[in-house]
Amino acid sequence: MDISIAAESLFHIGSFPVTNTLVVTFCISLIIIVASYILKNRISLVPKGFQNIVESVLEALLNLADSVTQDRKQSKKFFPIVATIFIFVILTNWVEVVPGLGTIGLNKMEEGKQVLVPFIRSGAADLNLTLALALVSVISAQVLGIAMIGFRKYAGKFFVSPLHKPYLVGTFVGLLELISEFAKLISFSFRLFGNIFAGEVLLTVMLFLVPYFVPLPFLFLELFVGFIQALVFAMLTLVFFKMAATEAAH
Amino acid sequence: MSELLSKLGIDWKLLIAQIVNFLVLLFVLYKFAYGPVLAMLDKRQKKIEKGLKDADEAHKKLAESADMQKEILRKARIEAKDIVEKSYVQAEKSKSEIAAEAKTQAEKIIANAKDQIELEKNKMITEVKSEIGSLVVAAAEKIINEKIDEKKDKEIIGKSLI
Repeated sequence: MDISIAAESLFHIGSFPVTNTLVVTFCISLIIIVASYILKNRISLVPKGFQNIVESVLEALLNLADSVTQDRKQSKKFFPIVATIFIFVILTNWVEVVPGLGTIGLNKMEEGKQVLVPFIRSGAADLNLTLALALVSVISAQVLGIAMIGFRKYAGKFFVSPLHKPYLVGTFVGLLELISEFAKLISFSFRLFGNIFAGEVLLTVMLFLVPYFVPLPFLFLELFVGFIQALVFAMLTLVFFKMAATEAAH
Repeated sequence: MSELLSKLGIDWKLLIAQIVNFLVLLFVLYKFAYGPVLAMLDKRQKKIEKGLKDADEAHKKLAESADMQKEILRKARIEAKDIVEKSYVQAEKSKSEIAAEAKTQAEKIIANAKDQIELEKNKMITEVKSEIGSLVVAAAEKIINEKIDEKKDKEIIGKSLI
């Protein structure tokens, strides 16, 4: 058993490394796309089965967005990105509990040692995915902010002239705001990565130590952590959108 | 920096692949799931609201029509009572009228009959008178046994009878 922070590559296409997380992510995306396609063709005014589940999830998310934005129109604008993040992250997180995680894989020789490369690795246990999501979230917040309150006002949040009322304090606060935008990238990506990677390691270790029954509570715990992390990611994205779309108070 | 990134497993190729993957997912979900589902939710909400409103209205209308029915029944009852009363009065009236007419008719008949009787009586009296006259003449003739003169005779008889 060995644990690597980076996702292991299964094979290469040209110079492009195809990692196990990439494969898992693509599979999850494919499942979501197929499910949504089926949903689209079966949608009806009287909901049934699968449509009920999707509707209740989306409605709960929309209500959550409403509680943050206090405005239906704005919630509907933010909703697609937030909901996609939630659905995608929760499903990739729950890959953790799929049997065979970290145990079934290819045996590869690396640097003279035999290393097991598992087929399944939770998508969020790879910084590439979490950083990608963080980039999407932060960049869309900037775009939405500019689109909603205009470029000048939005830029005015970060670049404050030192000649007006709070003088240098205002300029300094603006600079801190700017830095915090970049800090968001790091906090977003490392929070999700840390939680899910730790969960994976925990599950692998538990399974390695006591193969029967003992890992069960940890599986439930990981289901819960996966849900919470997805919710936190989506919620923070929503809050940052709202903050970006609100004019500065000073 | 690049060493740190590679230690953490960050590879710009993978990063871009993940971003593209997410954007594709976002687009597909937007097209297939959010649009239709949210539209459907809105539609359903509107439909339910409309249904509730309709039910409310129907309820109100029902109560209204029940009230109207009661009102109509009440009016009809009053009208019927009126008609009956009127016809009663009418009947009473016509009854007394008929009676009065009958009475006058009877009176008329009686009067007629009285007249007739009077006439008959007078006629009879004259007849009787003439009869008696001739009888008396005959008797007188028998008694006198002689006829003076027819004309004188009648004069005498007329005088004696009056």
